[in-house]
Amino acid sequence: MNNIFKFSIGILSALAFAWLAFVIGARKQFGDLEPTSSFLEDNGSIPEGAELFPKQLAGIAQQGAKEYISLGCTTCHTQQVRLEDSGFDVERGWGKRPSVARDYIFHEDITIGNTRVGPDLANIGLRSYSKEWLHQHLFEPQSLISESICPPSPFLYEEKDFDTNNAIKLTEDQIDKPRFIVPSLKANRIVSYLASLKQDYELPEMSFIQQDEELIETSELSTVSVSENSDSNLSELPTWLASQIASGKEIYMKAAPGGGLCFTCHQPTGLGLPGQFPPLAGSDWVLGDKERLIKISMHGLMGEIEVNGVKYNNVMAPPGIPPGSLTDQQIADVLTYIRNDWGNSASSVSPAEVANIRSKVKDRAPMQMWTSAELKSN
Amino acid sequence: MKFTAEQIIDKSAKWVISFFIASAGLWLLAAALLAYCAAAKLTDPFFLSTFEFFTYGKVKIAQANAFVYGWGGNSIFAVSIWIIARLAQAELRGRFLLIASGIIWNVGITLGLLGILDGHMNAHEMLEMPREIWPLLFISYSVIASFIIVTHRSRSKHETIAPQWFILASLLWFPALFIIAWNGLEINPARGTLQAVLSMWFGQSLIWLWLTPFALGVAYYLIPAITGRPIDKYYLAIFGFWCIALLAPWSVVHHLEGGPVPMWIPAIGTVMSIAMIFPIAVASTNFHATAFKDIDIVWNNLPLRFVIFGTLSYTISSYIGVVFSLPAVAKLTQFSIINEFHFNQRVYGFFSMIVFGAVYHMLPRVTGKDIPVGAKSFHFWTSALGVLMLLLAYLIGGLTHGVLAQQPSLDWASSVIASIRPYFLITQIAFVILGLSQLVFVINIWKVLFPNPFQFLNNSSNDSAKNAVA
Repeated sequence: MNNIFKFSIGILSALAFAWLAFVIGARKQFGDLEPTSSFLEDNGSIPEGAELFPKQLAGIAQQGAKEYISLGCTTCHTQQVRLEDSGFDVERGWGKRPSVARDYIFHEDITIGNTRVGPDLANIGLRSYSKEWLHQHLFEPQSLISESICPPSPFLYEEKDFDTNNAIKLTEDQIDKPRFIVPSLKANRIVSYLASLKQDYELPEMSFIQQDEELIETSELSTVSVSENSDSNLSELPTWLASQIASGKEIYMKAAPGGGLCFTCHQPTGLGLPGQFPPLAGSDWVLGDKERLIKISMHGLMGEIEVNGVKYNNVMAPPGIPPGSLTDQQIADVLTYIRNDWGNSASSVSPAEVANIRSKVKDRAPMQMWTSAELKSN
Repeated sequence: MKFTAEQIIDKSAKWVISFFIASAGLWLLAAALLAYCAAAKLTDPFFLSTFEFFTYGKVKIAQANAFVYGWGGNSIFAVSIWIIARLAQAELRGRFLLIASGIIWNVGITLGLLGILDGHMNAHEMLEMPREIWPLLFISYSVIASFIIVTHRSRSKHETIAPQWFILASLLWFPALFIIAWNGLEINPARGTLQAVLSMWFGQSLIWLWLTPFALGVAYYLIPAITGRPIDKYYLAIFGFWCIALLAPWSVVHHLEGGPVPMWIPAIGTVMSIAMIFPIAVASTNFHATAFKDIDIVWNNLPLRFVIFGTLSYTISSYIGVVFSLPAVAKLTQFSIINEFHFNQRVYGFFSMIVFGAVYHMLPRVTGKDIPVGAKSFHFWTSALGVLMLLLAYLIGGLTHGVLAQQPSLDWASSVIASIRPYFLITQIAFVILGLSQLVFVINIWKVLFPNPFQFLNNSSNDSAKNAVA
């Protein structure tokens, strides 16, 4: 203790033990992980022609990772789904399986983080957020999730009050004065990075966690009743949106007063019936202009209509039991639902928007159905 | 005029110590301001949100770096120079180089923080300053630490005592940690989550092997020096020292529990964290058994009151830390704002409080002037109040955060985070109190260190007056 050299050697070798374990030992154990296939042959080799995981991030996503770090996003967001014993990350819908070391071998900087003031982002690309949604969230999180404490980043966008190329319309209550944002290069990089964050493959060391919710989801297609919380994606959405979608789904599937009876023609799968009823899933009409959708929901539709390039000719009575009886709130909910299920992802519809359109067409007779040509001319 | 040996030593170190304390004080204020901004951004996300260089993440990281390297680094230099010189009974060596390196250290940190705000942040814990800065910091640190060791080696007594072990060990551990981390992260970078292990190991070890042993060493020096009693059960100190040396570097990795790393890493961290109760118990026995023999002096002597606040905070919160490293508890709290509790109790409640005590103890001896009692007392009570508010808010808020986050059915923003928002407000208020408290502290030490900063103006005007007369 009295000789400074012996003393230094003592305290530094105490440190060296830990160094041997955490640096040398750990590097030997998992420092040279390579991509591999989801399932291995019995002898431990990769099957021929199998797809290898994980994959390299795209170039723009790698640049996005740098922006993500430089803005300090790691301070509040982790990117790791913990093991089943350690937490309820999978149950929360933050991933299909716990993250493992191999998932990160292509990440240049590791951003697994250590604090979750915001949600985990390891699988943000798997959740049903559109790029448009992510941009809006970056610009002003509170416009989508009112309780969010994520700081807005308006400096990544250029604000416009008219629509231009690449502009994104902000979801807001007052539709008479819409605002648009044009993402900067940085913003596009970050969103590409976020959209690419997904651990949607299985690895030999970790397979997907089977969840009860999935069983409910598959069985629900055959039944008309809707159980609460059946859609695991819902818990990922902001509460107001999730509740709109849940109530919209109920209206869509309901064959009693107060319901919409939509599923009888468009089917619970949203695929419609070929040649008779047009699909809603991936439909250019559903994902397009809200005003036309609101009008159809109030008065119905008849005559020839072209959906995704396919012509249909049938009659859609005003939805609701009795026909045309849906309230503003119900129309908003059911439209928000059809715009956000079966792989659809588009902005929600608010009751205020419906009320606005209703007052515009208040002179129209209640059962006077629209035609495709009439809607397009407006 | 005759000086005692102590006065000669103090005089030899006066300017170096003044420089480091003065810079430490400025960094403390910078950190307090950044801490307030970060806290305000959590309560109101729109606060200063239009500035790209001032995002929450950047401010938060800049605050931690200003606090640990700016305030922590400078105060470690100042106090270790004084204690090592005093214990060695030797005059300080290399005064000019010490101040020159000190300037480089401070310029380096300034550039580093500006780099963080400008968007050049590194992804590694406590190594977030841009990589170009680090060689500068490392070299200036090495020069400063070398001269402290040179001073130590010119000591008159061969035997060393506990404060010397702890302080010298902390001086030597920092560069060793840095070389290990720098080699594994930058020079010869590891792939995948190995980086995360190393970066977490460095960030946590920095607190455990740099700030902690230093503050323990200061407490081992000040408690007997002020109470005039030898350390009770001093023979345990050496055991406590080697326990920290051997266990602390292993214990810090328990934060990776359940993460994408081999299971043995968090497991060994947990075991070693539990074993840490031995060094914690030793230090607390040594300190409190000595100091509480005479409660009056703890109460009446302000530097000692600061030190005992620090050691009590160390003991209590380290035990809490042990409990939180148990896997059953860790999975509740590991990603919650309890991390802020751990950081702030160690850096604020323990390290800073002991440094405040040390500064108040040595300043009158080094400069011959003292700070008014009222100001010191104000500083103590506001700091104590602020730290307690801060720690309780993070502790209770962290538990709430962790428990609610484990309920998958609760919505994240509207239920989990909404329920901890009141605690963010409390921390914001606590940072206002602490900011005021630190402002009083810094103004007072600056007044003592540089009683008449515009003296040279007066001198020159006197000179010109004389010239005019001539």
